[in-house]
Amino acid sequence: MMATPLLELKSVTKTFGGLTANNQVSFKVHPGEIVGLIGPNGAGKTTLFNVISGYYAPSHGQILFNGKDISGKPPYELAALGIGRTFQVVKPFPGLSVLENVLIASFLRYPKRAQAEEHAWHILETTGLADRAEVSAAGLTLAGRKRLEIGKALALKPSFLLLDEVVAGLNPTEVDLTIELILKLRDQGVTILIVEHIMRVIMQICDRLAVLNYGEKIAEGTPAEISSNPAVIKAYLGETAA
Amino acid sequence: MRSKIITLSILVVLALGVIPLFVSDTFVLRILTEAIMWIGLAITFDVLAGYTGYLNFGHGAFFGIGAYTTAIMMVRANWPFTTALLAGAVITAVCALLAGFPTLRLRGAYFAIATWALSLAIQQLALILTITGGPDGMRLPPFLDPVYFFYLMLGVVSATFFLLWYLLERAPFGLKLKAIREDELGAQSLGLNPTRLKIQAFVLSAVPTGILGGIYAYWITFIDPASTLSDLVSDQALVMVVFGGMGTLIGPIIGAVLIFSFKTIFWAYLSNFQLLYLIILGAVIALSVVFLPNGLWGTIKNRKNRRDGPKKVEKSMSRDAEADKNIEKKSTLAAELKACTQKDGVK
Ligand SMILES: Nc1ncnc2c1ncn2[C@@H]1O[C@H](COP(=O)(O)OP(=O)(O)OP(=O)(O)O)[C@@H](O)[C@H]1O
Ligand SMILES: [Mg+2]
Repeated sequence: MMATPLLELKSVTKTFGGLTANNQVSFKVHPGEIVGLIGPNGAGKTTLFNVISGYYAPSHGQILFNGKDISGKPPYELAALGIGRTFQVVKPFPGLSVLENVLIASFLRYPKRAQAEEHAWHILETTGLADRAEVSAAGLTLAGRKRLEIGKALALKPSFLLLDEVVAGLNPTEVDLTIELILKLRDQGVTILIVEHIMRVIMQICDRLAVLNYGEKIAEGTPAEISSNPAVIKAYLGETAA
Repeated sequence: MRSKIITLSILVVLALGVIPLFVSDTFVLRILTEAIMWIGLAITFDVLAGYTGYLNFGHGAFFGIGAYTTAIMMVRANWPFTTALLAGAVITAVCALLAGFPTLRLRGAYFAIATWALSLAIQQLALILTITGGPDGMRLPPFLDPVYFFYLMLGVVSATFFLLWYLLERAPFGLKLKAIREDELGAQSLGLNPTRLKIQAFVLSAVPTGILGGIYAYWITFIDPASTLSDLVSDQALVMVVFGGMGTLIGPIIGAVLIFSFKTIFWAYLSNFQLLYLIILGAVIALSVVFLPNGLWGTIKNRKNRRDGPKKVEKSMSRDAEADKNIEKKSTLAAELKACTQKDGVK
């Protein structure tokens, strides 16, 4: 018997009017794992993140977190339960400083300002943003904004982290730094579900992968299994051929 | 900077506090009392406008509700002033809760329009009801003690200021509101419940405003829908806040003092004041939006920060987040997957 999965999706479906963005998706994420969620553009990866993190209620199906049904709970309750997420289209609070951005997330675990500030500084050091603490978040470079996105999610002290394309658009050095950070988090006991198009990263860090295509899960397995799976190759190459 | 502001504020309050010991001119005290009242109306308006990002054109309605509740309890139920004032505060809080739930779902212009419509509805209600005296308004038992009202207004407004300063600039609450202002959706993933925070801000803004309305009613001894429930209360508060600098608490105080002084001087020297004053208010708001987007205080603060150095803003390489999304994606994707499949021993 395996331990209870941290996250379990039971045939989750999300429709937008006539469009089925996620179709009966089921999979599990176990504590301590890094699971990759991949698939071509428009496959429904971000939508699934939005469903898991409470931004959309699933149209059908169930989401279990630590064995408890969390389907339809709002994002702020899920954050309190330990689910942190980043946004593919980064969402800094542009009018506030980098420190204030992280501070706001720190209040969830540290309601007192002094402790929250201490925690926020700690997060800024972890994410390499400490020297830019006082800078306005709108003034960060893309790499900086992506780190801030991770920093804000981390400030929640999540047990489960959803990362949506935190590497795309970074230069190779920045990519390596981010990989290092993700692996460090895993070692600290954070379970991670990551969406990423850069296969080098996915192959390097993921224990398991789930593949979405047109909203459906078409494969699941280790990176080696996935990379030799004919259905997956067809989904990707079909896209370039088109 | 922050502790300096508190020290300075305490000094200003003390300085204002000794004025009645030297000045007995009723006219001067009256002007000062009203100026202090406007400071109160401006800083409470700022809670929603500046910190939370919602322009509440129903601000004047809260003022009116406080005024009318106090008047009704005193005149119709013979309650003493203090209890009537307390009732005014409670009723304002209840109204803020009731009005907040539907309106705070709306964003931007829709919220502004909805609150404006609600305040018109309240004004109409006061016009047709008998308990409010309809268009004739209400006369309160006169209590003609300018010094009493000066101290009452000063006490309530400074208490409000220090409370707001603590909650918005010191405690986490202010930053949480700013997060809502900056990105309501994004804030939710950080554990913030926007509905709850916005309702709290709404009540926090409304209750002191209602209390000020109650004091105003007893002080002026006469209220009617045209004066107490007109749009002008919200409009003036808005101009003071925008001109002074939104989301700073200090800016609105400066704005209130300047606009109110201007109005008072204008009143004294020009006869056809009403129309001209409105035109000028409109011009001030238009000009400050264009030339002083951060208001007076915001501009001064930015200058100072720049002079003091370190808090520089990096030039962003690309501010277009949507565009970031597609960098590196499609083209390399299939190639990479192929490369990975060919490589043996992928992890
Ligand atoms: N709020 C929405 N309303 C309507 N359709 C939506 C909405 N959000 C996503 N979609 C649609 O759902 C489908 C899946 O989109 P989604 O953003 O989840 O894809 P993705 O796998 O994250 O793609 P990408 O790799 O480009 O980020 C797309 O067809 C998209 O247009
Ligand atoms: Mg996506």
